[in-house]
Amino acid sequence: MTNAIEVHSVTRTYGRVRALDTVSFAVPEHSILGLLGRNGSGKTTIMSIIAGQDRPSSGQVDVLGHTPFEHAPTLAQISYVRDNQRYPDDYRLHHVLRIAPDFAPNWNCDVAEELTDGFRIPAKTPIKKLSRGQLSSIAIVLGLASRAPITLLDEPYLGLDVTARALFHRMLLHDYGQHPRTIVLSTHLIEESASLFDRVVILEQGGVAMNGDQDDVLASAWVMSGTKDAVAELVADRPVLQRNTVGGLTSITADFALDDATRIRARDLRVQFAPASLQDLVAAYGSSDTDSTDVKVAERA
Amino acid sequence: MISTTKLHFNKRELTLVVPLYITGMVAVISILISVLFWRGGSLPGTTGWIQGSQSNPGILYALVGFLVYLGVQSVATTFPFALTLGATRRGFAAGTLLWSVTVSAYLALAFAALTIIEIATDHWFAGFYIFDIYVLGAGDLGLLLPIVFLGVLSMLTIGGVFGASWMRFGARGPQLIGMSTAIVLVIALIVMIPAAEDIIAAFELWWLAVAAAVVIVVSAIGTWLLLRSASVR
Amino acid sequence: MFTGGGPIYQQLADHIAEDIMAGTYSEESSVPSTNEYAVFYQISPITATKSVNLLVEQGVLYKKRGIGMFVATGARDRLHKLRRSEFRKEYVAPLVHEARLLEINRRQLAEMIDQENKK
Repeated sequence: MTNAIEVHSVTRTYGRVRALDTVSFAVPEHSILGLLGRNGSGKTTIMSIIAGQDRPSSGQVDVLGHTPFEHAPTLAQISYVRDNQRYPDDYRLHHVLRIAPDFAPNWNCDVAEELTDGFRIPAKTPIKKLSRGQLSSIAIVLGLASRAPITLLDEPYLGLDVTARALFHRMLLHDYGQHPRTIVLSTHLIEESASLFDRVVILEQGGVAMNGDQDDVLASAWVMSGTKDAVAELVADRPVLQRNTVGGLTSITADFALDDATRIRARDLRVQFAPASLQDLVAAYGSSDTDSTDVKVAERA
Repeated sequence: MISTTKLHFNKRELTLVVPLYITGMVAVISILISVLFWRGGSLPGTTGWIQGSQSNPGILYALVGFLVYLGVQSVATTFPFALTLGATRRGFAAGTLLWSVTVSAYLALAFAALTIIEIATDHWFAGFYIFDIYVLGAGDLGLLLPIVFLGVLSMLTIGGVFGASWMRFGARGPQLIGMSTAIVLVIALIVMIPAAEDIIAAFELWWLAVAAAVVIVVSAIGTWLLLRSASVR
Repeated sequence: MFTGGGPIYQQLADHIAEDIMAGTYSEESSVPSTNEYAVFYQISPITATKSVNLLVEQGVLYKKRGIGMFVATGARDRLHKLRRSEFRKEYVAPLVHEARLLEINRRQLAEMIDQENKK
């Protein structure tokens, strides 16, 4: 499978702030990639660079075989609406729908119409006055109706109600079925979107914490919980991503293969173990502290 | 590039209708002022009347504010959206310039048409001088067309470069440009002031046209240079 | 619907397999396309393709070019065989474990199974 997007050791600094630090990953063509991580982990920065709206301080990005920055033919193949997208003064929905086809060669009016109807985006209200969810809806309309070979969706769920989220999923997968494309989607709503992704990249403080096929990434990730001593015995000296201890109870998120002997031992020690969900894993990578003892608020007598 | 130009024209009302609307408003105000003088005893058609109303450049000043705003917004709020749509920075700068040129030509022609009507109708049948005024060449279309065209284009591109500086440096950008322009002007004055009398004596109208052209070219290049390295937020 | 509990492609493959064993899709009948599975279960089409490919490898499904995916003859038998080996690990082992914890002896367990069968 060829790669639609290749990110090679990309570093991006803003003044003294290092937003991305030697980030590398690839997105195979027609993949749906979940770009995950905490706020400020670098998701929007890497998306802007992939979209050719920003340049890396060092490193290289290839989109469909080209550096996207200032490369018009590549930019025409990319759709990217940032989560805090600004629109020209006094814009209304119809302004957006009228101009977008001029920039998106594959624009499809039916998709746009079905989505604007489904999301119930008010046509007459100035965009400035729309709610967060309505802004997200417009971004989704632009993202999906463009039918761009490279579609980047930045926090598409912000403010969307449950019906709108379902519509978004349905439309995304339905239209993908007709016109396959490479999709990168960043979100905090992991539980709801996890099943969409065949690949995931987890960013943490500007670096790649995890990158790969979602099934592979999750194959060896576990959550165990039980008494402190029992869990400690099971884990032994293997690395732990996150440990949460409250009183005598501990739960850990770890990433190592679990052999049958360990499983049997776990049963005897009354330690519950379950495959970690994508959400567990992202939360574990995001906790800067592997050992957390509940919350660190000083108790007062 | 053409797409960017279309993007600017997407707001048809703002770029095409509003300037005429403002022109109309100012025309009405000019007429009211004329009526005021009339009631005050000045008679339409007398030399004093004609000179007085031909010296009133209100029509031009009224548009300056709006045109600079139009120029600023053409970059400041449209640029991030243009990048989102997939425009290159190069294409955006070129498309914006093309749009500015088109708007300037449009206004120049609109003013010419109105001036022709004004003169043909003997100043709106009542001796009102709105377009047939000194700053617009006093009815000479050969002067009016370049004056309006270059004037509008300078306003739009100056607005554009201020908008671009804001994109590039944030709030400090416009201050930076304002300050450096002021410094350059003051230095130019310091250099030229000893010869001021000779310069003023030798003044020709085309100097202004050259100055406007320089402003336009510098602003357009400045816009492109600033946008090239601006990061979108 | 696929949340937690192992790889999604495995869960969908299991689901399709269960449908075939239950007779929802009879042998030589067609099953939904990967795109239909993707839209219906809201999963990545690549994942859905992976599930279907797994079943093709197991000889449960086969592809008719340009028409779609079909249930192979003998698919149910094949699935039964595959599933039986899993059955002990997935169901019997936890059952025995839980029974031991609750001090349910072998005879009582057998009785419970008989009662379930009568339902």
